[in-house]
Amino acid sequence: MRKTLALLVASTALTATLGFAAWSATRGPADAGPLPVAAMSQDGTPALPLILISDDDEDDDDDDRKGSWWGHDDDDDDDECDDDDDDGGCRGGARNPAPAGSKLPPQNGLFGTGAPPQVQVN
Amino acid sequence: MKSLLATLALTTALTLPGLAMARPVTLTTTLSSYGGDGAYLALYVTDPSGAYAGSLWMAGGKSKYYEHLTDWYRATGGDTAQVDGITGASVGAGRTLEITLDLADALFDAGYTLHIDAAVEDMRDSPNEVAVPLTTAGAGTPVTGRRYVASFAYDM
Repeated sequence: MRKTLALLVASTALTATLGFAAWSATRGPADAGPLPVAAMSQDGTPALPLILISDDDEDDDDDDRKGSWWGHDDDDDDDECDDDDDDGGCRGGARNPAPAGSKLPPQNGLFGTGAPPQVQVN
Repeated sequence: MKSLLATLALTTALTLPGLAMARPVTLTTTLSSYGGDGAYLALYVTDPSGAYAGSLWMAGGKSKYYEHLTDWYRATGGDTAQVDGITGASVGAGRTLEITLDLADALFDAGYTLHIDAAVEDMRDSPNEVAVPLTTAGAGTPVTGRRYVASFAYDM
């Protein structure tokens, strides 16, 4: 009986500790908003480079893209969909999505409540 | 004493399954050297009936290009809320995108399929570039995409 009790106490303590740690990792100060993923990295380690920008992304300044089937010219600096300006200027009025780390993943039933997404490009 | 025992048993029974309901899964996508700009990739899941269940990752941050991820776009209507918090940069040719996500156990061995749609500027769109059933037995087994994805595998 004592052994059973001890086992149950130990397992409860273990699960409570793990659960609290996981819960704490996803919580920030009340006024801080969602934590960036980088802030949830291991203590003392530098923030991870969460999103590595590809150096051959579509933002390159090639001059031969005007009229491409992507339907834009080469000047992405005038991106009408940036900066969450809800002026309906971009196709379908859609805003750009929140990047990883700025918001928790959608509650679509596919994700657990544990570690936030981590990404790297090699 | 008995009530304490019952309480402890109950808390253990309630918390342990919760911890076991999801697991970290690493999705590794290596692009071929197709000689174009960075690829937009939509990784999403369909349920056993083939209906869209949700998105896992979006590589590429500008929503105006999402219409080229044709199957994903058709399923979601281009709703960017589907990929809020799970969007990163597009992926260059020859590069490897490695994403680790905490995924629900219920996705595995239950008839769900992971799809990747791909699109590259000035090149052909590739809906359903990859379609792979999510099974525990299939973990770690690389599959080849149709046009841009040299290999894709999930590990857990």
